[in-house]
Amino acid sequence: MDWQSSIEYITNGKHLAWYASVRFTLIAAVLGALFAVFFGLIGAGLKQSKWSGLRLIGTVYTNMLRGIPDVLFFLFLPLAFEQTVEYFLAQASCTSAELADGSTWPPCADAQWYLTTTEYLLMACVTFGIVYGAFAANVIHGAMQAVPKGQLEAAMAYGFSPKQIFWNIKVRQMWVYALPGLSNVWMLLVKATSLLSLLQIPDIVLWAERLGAANYVAFKGLIHDDWRWKYYLVLFVFYIILAYVSERFFNWLQSRAGRGMIEVR
Amino acid sequence: MRKLLTTMAVAAVVASSMSAQAGNTLRIGTEGAYAPWNYLDDDGKLAGYEIDLGNAICEKISYKCEFVQNEWDSIIPNLIAGNYDAIMAGMSVTDERKETINFTAEYFPPDPSRFAAAKDMEFDFANLKGKKIGVQGATIQADYVNETFGADNDVLSYENPDQSIADLIGGNVDILMADASFLEPVVNALGSISFVGEPVAIGGGVAAGLRQKDTELLKAIDDAIVVLKADGTVDKLIKQYFDKGPFFAQ
Repeated sequence: MDWQSSIEYITNGKHLAWYASVRFTLIAAVLGALFAVFFGLIGAGLKQSKWSGLRLIGTVYTNMLRGIPDVLFFLFLPLAFEQTVEYFLAQASCTSAELADGSTWPPCADAQWYLTTTEYLLMACVTFGIVYGAFAANVIHGAMQAVPKGQLEAAMAYGFSPKQIFWNIKVRQMWVYALPGLSNVWMLLVKATSLLSLLQIPDIVLWAERLGAANYVAFKGLIHDDWRWKYYLVLFVFYIILAYVSERFFNWLQSRAGRGMIEVR
Repeated sequence: MRKLLTTMAVAAVVASSMSAQAGNTLRIGTEGAYAPWNYLDDDGKLAGYEIDLGNAICEKISYKCEFVQNEWDSIIPNLIAGNYDAIMAGMSVTDERKETINFTAEYFPPDPSRFAAAKDMEFDFANLKGKKIGVQGATIQADYVNETFGADNDVLSYENPDQSIADLIGGNVDILMADASFLEPVVNALGSISFVGEPVAIGGGVAAGLRQKDTELLKAIDDAIVVLKADGTVDKLIKQYFDKGPFFAQ
C-alpha cells in the first residue's frame, strides 16, 4: 500500500469513528476522577469521624473496595443498579399478577429500563468514582494526619475557629501531602478506562478490536489479516502520552499547591 | 450520599421515561461481524443483508430502526434482558432457541453448513480422529460438531467468526465448520483454503428472534416479511448480497 492510500485508509469513516471514540475514555477518566475525589473526601471524613459507627463504615468502605478486583466491581455495580431501578419501576407499574409470576425479568414491559451508551458511561464513571474513591480516601486521610500538629495548635492559639482551622490550615495544607498519592490513583483510574468496552461502550479498545479484525472479502473494505496488534500498539502509545501529560500536570499542581509553604520533602 | 443516590435514581427514571416516549423505535441487535449478513463497512457503519432488510421492515411497519451491535454469544440473553427488541444476526431457527425466544417468518431459506480446510487437504469424515475442529460458539455448528466429532477430536470454539478464519489460515485448526453463506465469499477470495466434505443441513431457515411476550410485534414483523417476500424485495437483497435465489418469488 502506498502512502497515499494508507492515509486514505486511516482517515476513512471507521478510523474517524475510532479516533472520536477517545471521548468516552477521556470523559470516563475526568468524570471518574471527580467522583473519586468526592467519594474520597467522604471516605476520609468517615474515617476520622468522632463516632465509631461512622469510622467503621469508612474503614469497611476503603478496605473492601481496595480488595475487590476493579473489573469485578465494574461488572457488578451497573448491573445491580439497573436491576434495582427496574425493581422499583416494576413495583410502580406492573400488575400484581405479573409481579407474582417471576419467570421473566423485568416482570412487565413498562419496568424495562433501556440503557444507552450515555447511561452506561455515567454508571461507569460512578463505579470508577466508588472504586478509586476508596484509594483516594486513604490518601486524603493520611495527608490530613500529615499536616503538622504544631500548625493547628498555632492556629488555635491565634484564635482561629475550628472551622477555619479545618479549611484554612488542615485542608489547605493537606493537598501538598495528598497530591503524590492522588496522582497515583489517577494513573490507576486512567488505566482502568480500558475496561469501558465491558459495558458495551464503543471505546477505543472496542474499536481497535473491530478495526484490527482480519478481513478477507473485498466488499467489506481493505483485505488484511489479523492486525489487532498494530491497533493495540497505537493504544499503548496513547496511554503512554496520557501518562506523560498527567505527570506534567500533577507536577504543576504540586508546585501550585505548595506555594508559600516550606519544602516538606 | 443520599442526595447523590436520589439524583441518580431520578436521572434513571427520567432517562427511562424518555426512552419509553421514543415510542415507535425498533431496536435490532446484530453482531456486525458476519459478512455478508451484517458487518461494519469502511465508514464504520453497519451494513449487509440484514441491515437493509431490517430497514425495509421498519419502513413497512412505520417504526424507526436502530441497530445495536452485540457480541454473538450474549445476543439472546441481551434480547431477553431488553437491550434491544429483535435479533437479526444470521440466526437459524432451532427448537432449542425456540424454547427461549420466538422467531418471525424466515427471511432466508435453510442455509447448509460446510467444512473448510487448507487447500488440498482431505479428510475421512466417517472416521475423523485427533483433528482440531473450529466453530463459532453458541451456533448450530458448535452443537453439531460437538455431538458428531466431539468424542475423538478437539473442538475449538471461537467468539468471533473472523477469528475462526484467521486461525484456520494460521493452521491452529484443521477444519472449520460454519454457514455456507458466510464461508463462500471467504473461500472464493482466499486461494489458501477450500471446502471439504459434504454440506450438512442442520438448522432451519434464518429469521428474526423476538422476546416471547412481544406477540403483537411478532405479528407486525411477520406481516411485513410476507409483504417484502411477495413484492420481491427479499429476493432482490439476497441476490445483491449472496448472489443466490430467487427463493420467494411467486
